Amino acid sequence: MRFFDSHVHMVSRTTDDYQRMAAAGVAAIIEPSFWQGQPRTEVGTFKDYFNSLIGFERFRASQFGIKHYCTIGLNPKEANNEKLAEAVMELMPLYICKEGVVGIGEIGYDDQSKMEEKYLIKQAEMALEADLPIQIHTPHRDKKKGTSRTMDVLLDVGVSPDKVIIDHNNEETVKEVLDRGFWAAFTIYPHTKLGNQRMVELMLEYGAEKIVVDSAADWGISDPLAVPKTAALMKERGVTVEEIEKVTYHNPLAAYGQSGQVEESDWEEHEGIDASALFEGNTLFRGGQDIEEAMSQYLIE
Amino acid sequence: MRDLLIESLSASASANAVSWLRSQISELSENFEKRPFYYAFSGVSRRFSKTATIQSSDDTIDGWDEFRAARAALLLVLAQQEKEVFLETFSAVLNTADIREQVALFSALRWMPHQEELVESAVDGLRTNIVDIYDSIALDNPFPQEHFTEEAWTQMVLKAIFITRPLHRIHGIEKRRNATLAEAISDLAHERWAAGRVITPESWRSCIGFIDERIAGDIGKIAESENPDDRAAAALVVAEEESGKLDDLKTALSDELSRIETGDLSWKSLGQEMEDKLIRKSLT
Repeated sequence: MRFFDSHVHMVSRTTDDYQRMAAAGVAAIIEPSFWQGQPRTEVGTFKDYFNSLIGFERFRASQFGIKHYCTIGLNPKEANNEKLAEAVMELMPLYICKEGVVGIGEIGYDDQSKMEEKYLIKQAEMALEADLPIQIHTPHRDKKKGTSRTMDVLLDVGVSPDKVIIDHNNEETVKEVLDRGFWAAFTIYPHTKLGNQRMVELMLEYGAEKIVVDSAADWGISDPLAVPKTAALMKERGVTVEEIEKVTYHNPLAAYGQSGQVEESDWEEHEGIDASALFEGNTLFRGGQDIEEAMSQYLIE
Repeated sequence: MRDLLIESLSASASANAVSWLRSQISELSENFEKRPFYYAFSGVSRRFSKTATIQSSDDTIDGWDEFRAARAALLLVLAQQEKEVFLETFSAVLNTADIREQVALFSALRWMPHQEELVESAVDGLRTNIVDIYDSIALDNPFPQEHFTEEAWTQMVLKAIFITRPLHRIHGIEKRRNATLAEAISDLAHERWAAGRVITPESWRSCIGFIDERIAGDIGKIAESENPDDRAAAALVVAEEESGKLDDLKTALSDELSRIETGDLSWKSLGQEMEDKLIRKSLT
């Protein structure tokens, strides 16, 4: 089985991770622009970061047979530094129409400050101008209200909900997101976000329509195999292969495919897709015992 | 050249893509603005095929992929702008370019104005570890031989040897030979031999005219090599070297030397053969 992890910060991950992801069937990934763990103080570091997303990281992923895409954006934490934020707004037009840039992201609220809102709006307008999907980071604190407010702002700007992927959802936010016609992405991230057992329950309740599962693995304690592991758990719990494929592969492809910058043939030429084979007999299976061990504990809590 | 590029693109790309390109070019020619140029230059990837290549009677552009050709056509519009706008925009685009955009920018250097001010960018571009970018500057490109200092030239050719690129496709490989390069090639060969490895036979072409005792010994060594490509290279050096320092190798290389006389063996044919072998190797 093939997976499309539509949210993973590979600049923070090792080559071991790439090997395991490839071995577990991750065919393609999206790396959203995000915070680097500490605030950047110069626009030049944004430029070099964006360059690494469209350059070396893409190249590095290709060395492991993984197709790498990215979204470009100013994250909400750094949107609070107005001088820096303005400079990043000047920089972004150089990147957003590039090959493999599948959206503006990840953007949204952190503290839900006025500055954050200003740059959320500016970037949503930029997405409209360049006809790109938007990848939304929902806040960790006051999440439910923050998520509603994000959707209100986006609709005000005139963005179609069908072109917006709202990420880091949970049991409290999902219903409104789906009801209002947005894509609902779930980040399987140990401890702080969502475990994969909860994800299975959510699937059983809401089905697979417009639902996306991702890992958001980054520089924290996180799991770059979260998507294949969750798929394994779903299979064990009786979710159909068709539904598993939807949330771990076809849905993110359809959502971000609206950019015109990602299609299955980008990686399909290398290997055919065998939908019947879940993990076993994977043609990309080259991690050997290492991957068996990595995948053996697929519960993420 | 712009018309030629568009004409070649018309034969391979979709009508929509070509008409988009034509309208971008006409709008930018009339009223040049940076942001629409950025969108057009990078947005080529949204309109043209990721894999298709163009055909042209002009060798320079024959075989270019559509992205490269379409972006070069847009750069030719940028080239018509006043100096400050041109240099600022060229540098902004280059400093934020992805791999295929860099390839287009470097390939188009030959048609750009104010070339003296772009030399540093080209030298810097060669520091890449991505072969496609390196090739777009070093191979089939007249820019380095026209503008590089001897130091930059020497580094470029040495790196080409180091990463086994086809040297016969470097413009000016013969004209810009120099003593420092010849010595460095000999040093590299000795290092490789000490490690039980090989150096591409085309390397020795850059030593002609700078044969000292040590390099004469190196040519003597490859003249006795079991590898026919090494012997072919030795013969090509011997045939061109006018100092007489290698004359005593002529007897041993008589077969190869007669192939040179009949036109059966040349630097180009050897280079082409090495390149074919390299491609075959990468496919297996």
